[in-house]
Amino acid sequence: MQGGLAMGLDLFGSMMKEEWRLHSTMFGSLSFALFPVLIFGIVFMSSFLLPLFRAVLPAGDLALIITGVFLLLGVMVGGFGLLGNEVMNRRFGQMSLLAYSARSLPLSERYIFTNFVLKDIVYYLILWVLPFVLGFAVASPFIGVPPGYPLLLFASLTLTFLFGLSAIFFLSTVYSRSKSALAIIFAAVLVIAGWAYLSYGTGLADLFPPLQLLHNGAWPALIESCVLVAIPFAVSIALFTPEYTGTSKRFSNLLTPLTGKLSFFPYPPLAAKDLVDLWRSGGGVGQVIFSFLLPLGLIWFFMSVLRALVPDYAVLLVFAVIAGIISATMYTWITSFDTFCSYACLPVSVSTLITSKICTFTVLQVIPAVFMVVVTVITGGILYLIPAMALWCAFSFYSLSVSIYLTGLTPNVLVYDVKVLLAFMVLVGVPVIIIIALAFINPYFGIAALLLGIPAVGLVRKGYKRWEGKDMASF
Amino acid sequence: MGMVMVIESQGLTKQFGDTMAVDNVTLSVPQGSLFGLLGPNGSGKTTMIKMLTGQIRPTNGQMTVLGINVLNDPIGVRKSVGIIPEQETPPSFLTAMEYLAFVGAVRKIPDIDEKAAWWFRFLEFEDKRDVLCKDLSRGTRQKLMFAQAFLHKPVLALIDEPLINFDPIMQRKVKEYLAEYVKSGGTIFISTHILEIAEEICTGFAILHKGKLLYSGAISELAGKKQHLSEFFFSQVQDD
Repeated sequence: MQGGLAMGLDLFGSMMKEEWRLHSTMFGSLSFALFPVLIFGIVFMSSFLLPLFRAVLPAGDLALIITGVFLLLGVMVGGFGLLGNEVMNRRFGQMSLLAYSARSLPLSERYIFTNFVLKDIVYYLILWVLPFVLGFAVASPFIGVPPGYPLLLFASLTLTFLFGLSAIFFLSTVYSRSKSALAIIFAAVLVIAGWAYLSYGTGLADLFPPLQLLHNGAWPALIESCVLVAIPFAVSIALFTPEYTGTSKRFSNLLTPLTGKLSFFPYPPLAAKDLVDLWRSGGGVGQVIFSFLLPLGLIWFFMSVLRALVPDYAVLLVFAVIAGIISATMYTWITSFDTFCSYACLPVSVSTLITSKICTFTVLQVIPAVFMVVVTVITGGILYLIPAMALWCAFSFYSLSVSIYLTGLTPNVLVYDVKVLLAFMVLVGVPVIIIIALAFINPYFGIAALLLGIPAVGLVRKGYKRWEGKDMASF
Repeated sequence: MGMVMVIESQGLTKQFGDTMAVDNVTLSVPQGSLFGLLGPNGSGKTTMIKMLTGQIRPTNGQMTVLGINVLNDPIGVRKSVGIIPEQETPPSFLTAMEYLAFVGAVRKIPDIDEKAAWWFRFLEFEDKRDVLCKDLSRGTRQKLMFAQAFLHKPVLALIDEPLINFDPIMQRKVKEYLAEYVKSGGTIFISTHILEIAEEICTGFAILHKGKLLYSGAISELAGKKQHLSEFFFSQVQDD
């Protein structure tokens, strides 16, 4: 391999520095540095509630849920990591990132990509996994947890996170080579997963090697976990193909006819552009699968453990709330393609653009709407379809309004600002707790969630004023 | 008879943290001129253009463009003018044709297909009309940004580094176009650090250095001083 270890360490170190500066210049060094501190703090304090959780939820089920969260995290970081490169290109220009400027050096693309992957792994482990485990480790002497357990937890969660990351890298590599191959792999995974779930139920999760490692701390589980991570990564790197811009594809004008068809929108050309962007970036299908279906599928799977403790309808309604919050992340899909600078030459205000994005977002909600109907019917919750849909819809648009107020047109950047994240958790978390409590009393009380439309409108109006007054700087 | 001023700024200031990017600039640009804002890299030229087009708000000062108060109505300013930013940033996933159609739809320009076709022919990039903007070379993207600025035939165009990324043949074409545009009644405001361009095409100029306005006047005044623009520029900047 070109470069050698010393060169690799130099490149790796520079990429780490670059990643830190990328985030710290956006939010301020202190603000961004507080992000892992926040996670540490939340986990530390929550650990003292473990004895209470244990009374309600078996330890094994709690471990399953936490494993599911970190698997989801790996999937989402991997998904953003790949799509995020496209985002970063547009914000900073290709030549601004080390991963691209290194092309002018005698280093192979595969060598650079390997360093980039390693950098992402280490960086996000430090950002997410380490503070989580440290928070638990510091609390563990006070809650009667054996001393070696935090180390086991670190190993298990790291390998879980890495598996999520490697799976996405592998699937994305296949996608870039052959969409039909990806479709076949996906269909096969769904069939096998479906059969395994029907055969084992949630017991299937106990076969997951990192979770086995957490339960039994055995060497075979560790080795299996490492193999489970290493193989997809190795295949991704081996199959990695650099982009060659020698031949450019040509496309006929989609925008003009689409603008005509969307004449009922308040700003038809802006809406048409969003849809063309989504379609041509491949983000439409990719985002639906990796940022919506996959995370929700995992959440549904891990939430199934709650069925032993609460009525089925309660699981469905909580899932509807979570689906609503995740549906709101579709706002990041339609704001990730370019900065406001693309519109700065035009008589388009920030509030006009936000309004147009809300309209496009509303159209995209067809996807989660159909998803929720299907899930409700399949799980036998047809009697609770109305409250489930009300909960999903209310939290989707309410979370959207919170995103708009807090982040304007740059949600996928500002989410890493500690102040923004805390504010989002409070503004969304409080209504979640209240509404879920109401829905547990009577599922049809969940329809009251639709009242969130009132603060949602207020937050969007405040968001217009707030972001209109800001300079149109790119991040 | 007094000249009509299409751009007027009074005490315009922009501070970024501890850095004074533009420092108390009072400037007037007459109608029908090809006006050059000159200065070294980092002198505040791009910041000036961004303020004049309502992209960023000044820390202090007032400005009007075509009689419109920019602070009160930045959208009104951008409706009336054409803008070419320093960094070419057309949307990545639209083709060149689609981007011009998009601009045409936003600005409600009639007969956009014909107008776009004219620009593709004039700037010689017809073969790139169906290529995604992200796959265009920098020079082609610059051509596209040039076309979108003049699609609606604005009375005033603000251009940041107009000839950057253009080859010599295209530079000559664009210079001739700008000169012709001014002759037919338009006003062009360019910012550049390339003095030879300014000396060749500008009728008026101002020199910005470290955010401060050092000089503003007509190119013809230099003949009286028996100086080339570059000599005058260096004398002003070195004295500062």
